[in-house]
Amino acid sequence: MAEPTRKQNEEEGGEFAEFLADVSEEIAMRVESLQTPSQSAAPVKKTPVGADGGVIVEWPTIADRMIEEMR
Amino acid sequence: MSVVNYGTREITCKIVYYGPGRSGKTTNLQHVYSKLPEERKGKMVSLATETDRTLFFDFLPLDLGTISGFATRFQLYTVPGQVYYAATRKLVLQGVDGVVFVADSQSRQMAENIESLQDLHANLAEEGHDPRSIPLVMQYNKRDLPKSEISTIEDLDETLNFRGVPHFSATAVSGGGVFETLRRISTLVLSRLSAPAGKA
Repeated sequence: MAEPTRKQNEEEGGEFAEFLADVSEEIAMRVESLQTPSQSAAPVKKTPVGADGGVIVEWPTIADRMIEEMR
Repeated sequence: MSVVNYGTREITCKIVYYGPGRSGKTTNLQHVYSKLPEERKGKMVSLATETDRTLFFDFLPLDLGTISGFATRFQLYTVPGQVYYAATRKLVLQGVDGVVFVADSQSRQMAENIESLQDLHANLAEEGHDPRSIPLVMQYNKRDLPKSEISTIEDLDETLNFRGVPHFSATAVSGGGVFETLRRISTLVLSRLSAPAGKA
């Protein structure tokens, strides 16, 4: 009795496995085009800080930076 | 619906099984559900009347795990086929990425197939989709019935498949053609990921 059950389970997983393989293949083919454009864009700007450390000296740019990082 | 989310690295695809009442849409989902490995079995949500007619819709979430770095989920829906559930069908079609049209192969059901297909096109257009370009697969179900009762594949194709999309013969009640159909619509939907409209 054990053998047919195991075979049956393999068959049951088979259809799903083939489906998963197709989906995986399609995603793998597309994965390069799925990369975010920003990942290869200009280098990330560093937060402007003063020489004495930790003090933000360029306040007008902070909002822009926050918006950029939230994208 | 946004198919791919770069921020969270998620891919979500919504596939809707459309077609006239009693054509076998729920049976398709039930077969898929029955073949899922235990560890991937979520909960199939189904709301039916006492006579097993789909009252609202069926929903089967398929969590496929992480593929190429993207958490991938498919959401399979059916619509109620009966004419008087038009509002529900519009609701289910919102954000659809691909459609499986499940046609009833019985000759006497051809008019219902045509009416449902027209309904699909009207609802897609209303949702802002181009009915001529949305991923679509035709499934001619109930091929196990006596030949005298069913239309030929050629007739069904000529009458319903004017877009010339992929079509599959099926006997959903025993699982024949169910996964073939799902595989095809899935790859069609995924093949559009790189299109500009697919950007989240």
